[in-house]
Amino acid sequence: MDMNIETPEDQNEENSRRVQVRFKTKLKPPQKVPSNSIAIPSNLTRFGLSSVVNNLLQAVNPEWKSEPFDFLVNGELVRMSLEQFLLAKGISAEKVLEIEYIKAVAPQKEEEPSLHDDWVSAVDGSNPGFILTGCYDNLGRVWKAGGVCTHILEGHCGAVSSVNIIKSDGLKYVTVATASKDQTLRLWKFDAEELVNHPKKIRSFKILRGHKASVHSIAAETSGNMVCSGSWDCTISLWRTNDSDAAGNQVSIKKRKGNNQVEEPQLEGEAISTLVGHTQCVSSVVWPQQETIYSASWDHSVRTWDVEMGKDLSDIFCGKALNCIDIGGEGAALIAAGGSDPILRIWDPRKPGTSAPVFQFSSHNSWISACKWHNKSWFHLISASYDGKVMLWDLRTAWPLSVIDSHKDKVLCADWWRGDSVISGGVDSKLCVSSGVSIQ
Amino acid sequence: MRERKKSSAVEVSSVKKKKEKKTKDNNEPREQKEKEESQSIMKQQKNTTSRSKKEKQRKATEDYQSLRESELSGDEVHGTDHDVDNADDHHEEDQTDGSEGHRGVEESDSSEDEVAPRNTIGDVPLEWYKDEKHIGYDISGKKITKKERQDKLASFLANVDDSKSWRKIYDEYNDEEVELTKEEIRLVQRLLKGKAPHTDFDQYADYVDWFKYDDALHPLSNAPEPKRRFIPSKWESKKVVQYVRAIRKGLIKFDEPKEEEPKFYLLWGDDSSAAEKANHLAYIPAPKPKLPGHEESYNPSLEYIPTQEELNSYQLMYEEDRPKFIPRRFTSLRSVPAYENAVKDSFERCMDLYLCPRVRKKRVNIDPETLKPKLPSRKDLKPYPVACYLEYKGHKGAVVSISTEASGQWFASGSTDGTVRIWEVESGRCLRVLEIGEAIQYVAWNPLPELPVLAVSAGQDVLILNTGLGNEEEQRRVKDLLHVETPTAPDDNMASIVSWLQHDKLDGIRLRHFKVAFSPLSIFSCIFVLVLDLGLVEDHLLKNLLLALMFTLDGVFGRMASQGRLPLHVFHPTRSIFFVSTKKNIRVYDLLKQRLIKKLETGLKEVSSIAIHPAGDNLIVGSREGKLCWFDMDLSSKPYRVLKCHPKDITNVAFHRSYPLFASCSDDCTAYVFHGMVYSDLNQNPLIVPLEILRGHTSSNGRGVMDCKFHPRQPWLFTAGADSVIRLYCH
Repeated sequence: MDMNIETPEDQNEENSRRVQVRFKTKLKPPQKVPSNSIAIPSNLTRFGLSSVVNNLLQAVNPEWKSEPFDFLVNGELVRMSLEQFLLAKGISAEKVLEIEYIKAVAPQKEEEPSLHDDWVSAVDGSNPGFILTGCYDNLGRVWKAGGVCTHILEGHCGAVSSVNIIKSDGLKYVTVATASKDQTLRLWKFDAEELVNHPKKIRSFKILRGHKASVHSIAAETSGNMVCSGSWDCTISLWRTNDSDAAGNQVSIKKRKGNNQVEEPQLEGEAISTLVGHTQCVSSVVWPQQETIYSASWDHSVRTWDVEMGKDLSDIFCGKALNCIDIGGEGAALIAAGGSDPILRIWDPRKPGTSAPVFQFSSHNSWISACKWHNKSWFHLISASYDGKVMLWDLRTAWPLSVIDSHKDKVLCADWWRGDSVISGGVDSKLCVSSGVSIQ
Repeated sequence: MRERKKSSAVEVSSVKKKKEKKTKDNNEPREQKEKEESQSIMKQQKNTTSRSKKEKQRKATEDYQSLRESELSGDEVHGTDHDVDNADDHHEEDQTDGSEGHRGVEESDSSEDEVAPRNTIGDVPLEWYKDEKHIGYDISGKKITKKERQDKLASFLANVDDSKSWRKIYDEYNDEEVELTKEEIRLVQRLLKGKAPHTDFDQYADYVDWFKYDDALHPLSNAPEPKRRFIPSKWESKKVVQYVRAIRKGLIKFDEPKEEEPKFYLLWGDDSSAAEKANHLAYIPAPKPKLPGHEESYNPSLEYIPTQEELNSYQLMYEEDRPKFIPRRFTSLRSVPAYENAVKDSFERCMDLYLCPRVRKKRVNIDPETLKPKLPSRKDLKPYPVACYLEYKGHKGAVVSISTEASGQWFASGSTDGTVRIWEVESGRCLRVLEIGEAIQYVAWNPLPELPVLAVSAGQDVLILNTGLGNEEEQRRVKDLLHVETPTAPDDNMASIVSWLQHDKLDGIRLRHFKVAFSPLSIFSCIFVLVLDLGLVEDHLLKNLLLALMFTLDGVFGRMASQGRLPLHVFHPTRSIFFVSTKKNIRVYDLLKQRLIKKLETGLKEVSSIAIHPAGDNLIVGSREGKLCWFDMDLSSKPYRVLKCHPKDITNVAFHRSYPLFASCSDDCTAYVFHGMVYSDLNQNPLIVPLEILRGHTSSNGRGVMDCKFHPRQPWLFTAGADSVIRLYCH
């Protein structure tokens, strides 16, 4: 290890300048280096800096196993040699440079992909216990860690376009919603903890009809009592999710039809309200707070809806047909959206008077099909694209932190799972799980 | 003359006086009587003169002639002459003692008005009345009868008897005898003598200075003003003072040194400026001879002197390349020999001057950039399709035709491999594969979104197929529509042309067409496909319309079919107008009136595709030689613009439904996207800007891109390639 550090220094001794740096971190003590300043060659890249830090840690703690770090100068990740970075940002090298280091965010491990029968069109990893996927063979599937399929959601007569985990009653029962191209939404309930040897087929307990065209996207309210759906008929509909028992003791507008079928009763629901305003297909909806819904549409706009009033509050015009939207980041307020071009755009709606995106990430080569913020971190998000790549982004640099290239064809959906894994499904009918992403 | 006037002026008053006198004293003696007589005669005379002066004069002279003769002939006449003289004298006396005003009476012009002429025949010759009994008319219009003429003898005798007969004159005009008074005789005599007719007129009277009066204050003088009276001008002197001050202050400068003209001129300078000064018609200066340099010096520097090797190398050169002059050194100017080529050089120079072409070359100095039309920047015309992000793969043969669904969620494609595929736009997934079995020529999606029905032309059939999209209710309606009761009562007209059958394998209708003489893409198919475009899917309505169409267009199609060509066609988006292309022209039919409205002349070799602007007033036509014509229906039957862009055949052209875009695709494996803005203002011509060349397809069997269609709502373009791939170009 010593040798490793010495060699670059030896090499660059003659022809490189040195900068005085002080490393600091918010990491816990075993990963903390002494805070005195040291001189390092200015042409070190992230890898060099990482080895310097590892070396220092090893000097303190001989049992330290080296691990990759990422480095921040003035809140930006260092992505070239330190010298170039300082030049590019116009930072003086005369003073002692404070470099903050964090754990490098990159997936450590590719897990065995879970194979589907057809294209994987939707995935939801919001429950740490399982992964819910939607597929073009009209089925929804529930996967446990290790690629075990526990449940198959059977009932749609069109490709499942979007899935969403609504809530878990206690710990046992989980309610999920799926949207399909057969113009309906279905609600399902199953026991996630149930141990099964082979996949168990379940049927939906409620069918929500009302859309006049394929439903493209679904999102559940935080409490789980309502879902909203965006469709090709240019509308967003709001639905109640409560099943017959819950609905019995509360006054609801919903008209229920007890449609007793042979095996088990299936309920049908109607939309309690419809948000009209988009002029083209509503391709994606998110419902991050109780009172607001964000929607992205092919009419090139992102709209914010007030659920109570049923009106759109604001309208961000993008210029491209949008496929996906997500809310997150700083204060859970940034809007990330991608669409019919390779650029992932991030808007800050709190910024007054401008509708220009605050960040634009353009490393993809084709349409962006999905984007998701990390639910804890303010900086990290993933995007999936038709070029077969899933990229992990940090707002503090314009380069992707890492590119997951496990798919062979278009990636149609991607999500975080358990906070440290990236799950993605695509045209190659695989659900890929890349784990070991350490975001503190 | 002046006196005369004066006198007449004076006389006017005197006449009046005279008249008063006349009334007063009636008892005036003979004198007065005579006077009256003369007066009346004078009046008479005046009258006659006014009538026909010349005639009168002539007669008068005749009379006087005769008078003279008589004078010469007889004593009596003499005596009378005497008498006349006496009378004359007497009259003169009378004149002198009489009032001064008397003499003016005869002259007075107003005398004529006093007695009106008796005869009023106007200014016509008297001969006209020669044979009449009357000689004219009096003032009241009554005829004046001629007096009975005495015969010559009687009159002669009477003349002889009458001593006064010589005084009498016959007035033919008034048909009466006039006896001249003594006064008149005297007047005549004076005229004959060449004197002034009036005795009282003194030809040689003394000059009367009318302007002389005694108390003249200002004598009229022409003497120049004496200098002592000169008063100098105040303002001039002020001006002078001003000038003087200005000169003293140095504001006005005298004796400024003249700009010296250069005494020397640039001997070797260019003559061009001088040539311009010389105002000749087209003076072109002669070319200058080469100026002598250092090497021509008699004693050039050493470096100019060629060495022996160089001299030898000159010998190896071609004669033309050899230097004409080899510098040499001389110790002094004296030792310089005569220049052996002097004559030759000057001759050549003369020949140069004589033979060189003296023509001013006119060079038009135009920046080629300025000749380009001003087009807006491409950046301002966004959005338009730029890059290909999606490919739809699955066909095994060339994709011939594509058609998008109205909402833009799906599209269908037909291929030569005998399949129709239905694709999802957003994901690139092939939803359905419909095996037709024959090569597809055309697919068209029903423009009504509630009926997801697809029309396909394959072989000689038209198939109307259920796409299987939409919810259950829509599917039910589609099934109803596509159901055909098998033994349809043969419609007498339709039966001969087409039969409606249920498709045996797929869910749909097969329209079998029996007239097989036509080209593979039967007329019927194209009409039908476009009838579906119209959204007319009611069964009987459709049949009626088809019938109407068939009869309207039978002639056109028949002719074209005989040429072995495919008829191209397009419907007007809003009106019942139908466009059909012949080989070179586009015919426009009114479907309701069933007649030809207009004929558009493309000027192309062969039309290969047409498309109509969604507003309906503009049409684009692609041709086999790669030309694209834009027709403005309001402008003329000639193309508004012809774009030559593709090196190979254009296979298809398309308009965007909402964006101002149009595209053409060609066998050269490219698709061109243009901005085609049509303004609602009729005065503004459409704006056409080429935007982008979309590449990516590969050639297969010499065919490139077979079809292009715009996405109905997004500025995206689908292209179907002969390489069996469909590409989506996004903005």
